[in-house]
Amino acid sequence: MTAAAIDARGLGKDFGAVRALDRLDLEIRDGEFFGLLGPNGAGKTTTVHLLATLLAPSRGTARVAEHDVVREGLAVRRSIGLVFQDTTLDRDLTVGENLRFAARLWSLPDRVARPRIDALLHQFELRERRDDPVRTLSGGMRRAADIARGILHEPRILFLDEPTAGLDPRARRSLWEQIRALRAASGLTVLLTTHYVEEAEPCDRVAVLDRGRLAALGTPPELKRAVGATSLEEAFLAHTGHHLAETDGG
Amino acid sequence: MRAVYGIVAREFVRFWRQRGRVLASIGRPFVWLVFAGGGFAAVFAGRSEIDYRVYMAPGLLGMVVMFGSLLAALSTVTDREAGVLRMVLVAPIRRSTVAFGKTLGATLLGTAQAIVVAAILLPCVQLRPTLAGMLLGLVALVLSGLALGALGVVLAASIRSIENFAGVMNFVVFPMLFLSGALYPVRHLGPVLRAVAYVNPLAYGVDLLKHALLSRWAGAGYGGELPAPLDCAALALFAIVGLAVAAPLLGREGGVTRAAFRDRR
Repeated sequence: MTAAAIDARGLGKDFGAVRALDRLDLEIRDGEFFGLLGPNGAGKTTTVHLLATLLAPSRGTARVAEHDVVREGLAVRRSIGLVFQDTTLDRDLTVGENLRFAARLWSLPDRVARPRIDALLHQFELRERRDDPVRTLSGGMRRAADIARGILHEPRILFLDEPTAGLDPRARRSLWEQIRALRAASGLTVLLTTHYVEEAEPCDRVAVLDRGRLAALGTPPELKRAVGATSLEEAFLAHTGHHLAETDGG
Repeated sequence: MRAVYGIVAREFVRFWRQRGRVLASIGRPFVWLVFAGGGFAAVFAGRSEIDYRVYMAPGLLGMVVMFGSLLAALSTVTDREAGVLRMVLVAPIRRSTVAFGKTLGATLLGTAQAIVVAAILLPCVQLRPTLAGMLLGLVALVLSGLALGALGVVLAASIRSIENFAGVMNFVVFPMLFLSGALYPVRHLGPVLRAVAYVNPLAYGVDLLKHALLSRWAGAGYGGELPAPLDCAALALFAIVGLAVAAPLLGREGGVTRAAFRDRR
């Protein structure tokens, strides 16, 4: 049996007096498509940033790709890709320049990076936009370029933090198509955060996060069955006692 | 290291693409030369052994390197606002590598701008430095760029947003310029201002540039005022301390997750 891709034990984070994440226990298996579902402010992004070593935990520990997030930050960052909620691309650089910049940050030699960038631009249908500044791209294309940037170094684990935020339905659909194709091709472990219940449906397992606490964990059918719900939306309501939208302070 | 190269290359591409910035950096010293230089030269005409515009030349080169390096390093603030800093911080490189890359990019940009300006400015004021003078001048530009670039990264990592930028310009850049010896000798300042001048990295940079370019007037008191090795050591110290301070500041949590934290309110 292989070790877990992500193993968090009592992981928590406070921002001043605000308890962003209480004590999270979470084990995500290699190759799993894992959803972190919850309203804004539930602690989803905090969890991702803790696992990506961008934040130091206030308590607990976590191992990502078998490396400790506090002591082995570089090794953790080498194994993960992270697509942030907001774009991280340099708007003044072209799509190609952004990817080349990322390749250098990840220390990929040019002879490795060049064919990979070509392949990713093809896969994400950005080939014609390669020499256009990112500023001129639509939201959907920008997000696609962000994801291409996130997987350029072929990470073992990919974090997608609210990847569909601000995208129109068509861009959303093509994004899910791309993520599905990626997983099929590489067996990539994906941790997705979302506050849209329907986006969590295709996940292998879903953790429901509410006010910094783990409210429920299981496969989508399990979550529904446990409370006799017919939809994940209903299940969320039963597990947390309120609707997703209610606490959506965004 | 490839990551450092990537960070430096990006600085150059960005600079080159902002044509306004290129023109401003090349044009700025000549505006000073014509307007400030012309005025002061008239005031001091006939009273000193050196034409004021010649005296000003090292200071103007120091000014170019200061604006070039400091502004490039301060672009870290924009990197954070635009989110690019997150891409850098989630890469498998140390915070100190990021700080060094930013500082080196700023240094090379500032130095390149100063070399271009020197190629036009020095013939304009009929200053012909010796080969040794040119080499020392280059050392002065690079060391000043490192010290000011590191300072810029520290400032950028400390200030929260681009709105504080004007404050930095008024309370850091202008005092630094006036207390650098670029426009008048530091030794004529009162004890308090002189003390402030000596915690100013640009003062050492301009002093070293005067060693390089004005050695002919050293006897008349217009050359460098401090020993050149001391200037070098001071600049190196500023750079090293700046880099050491900048690295942890850059990775500070607020920089990365501020946006996420704000969502909770």
